[in-house]
Amino acid sequence: MKPIAYVDRLNAFYRNQGFPPYQWSVYETAPLTPLRKPLNQCRVALLTSGGVSRKDAPPFDPLARNDLRVDAIPAETASAHFQIHDDYYNHGDADRDINCIFPLDRLRELAAEGVVGSVAPHHYSGFMGRTYIRTAVMTQAAPALARRLAEEAVDAVVMVPG
Amino acid sequence: MLVSTGRDLSSQVRAPRTAFVNFPMGNPFGHPFDKVTQRRILLEALHILGSVTEGGTLIDLPCEWGEEFGLNLGSGYTSA
Repeated sequence: MKPIAYVDRLNAFYRNQGFPPYQWSVYETAPLTPLRKPLNQCRVALLTSGGVSRKDAPPFDPLARNDLRVDAIPAETASAHFQIHDDYYNHGDADRDINCIFPLDRLRELAAEGVVGSVAPHHYSGFMGRTYIRTAVMTQAAPALARRLAEEAVDAVVMVPG
Repeated sequence: MLVSTGRDLSSQVRAPRTAFVNFPMGNPFGHPFDKVTQRRILLEALHILGSVTEGGTLIDLPCEWGEEFGLNLGSGYTSA
């Protein structure tokens, strides 16, 4: 099937609700930092924006606005030890198996097999949707995470939107 | 490396590298407990890391959900 036209559908949704047009982030170009070593030497982390937290951490606000919270999740956390709180996508399947959206078991297996060099000490969860303070994300929250990833010598991050 | 189920959303944001998976939002790595598909998508995304030479590249991963799916955005939208 053809990909769903989310932008058109969401524009129509907001219009029908009487909201002003949503200001999408649109970029014409993107930087590229080449991978400097083979995958089997890379340290890899995961990042999700799907409202995923450990069961012993506070749940995310499922209707959050402008929430810049980013959790550092120890990579050895068992896959059954997560909760998802986000009312803006269907996470029924991911509730049963977190690997649907946050494939930490599969990444562990690839590292154990030597396909990737290692799993980073932490995965990250944050940057939930409905963030209207883009400047704060771009100048504060995202650079802070990038610094932390650099400190942990992470070579690559697999980012998964919710 | 972005793994996305929203092709139009991600192509306008233009991450350095995007793998598009034509699965429902909430299932970018497939069905629960389908380890084979979860692994395949993660592995293909990781291989893209090293093969992309131009920032903003979006690659359509070969994948079939097997049935039609809709927007299904969750209760937040209906209560907005």
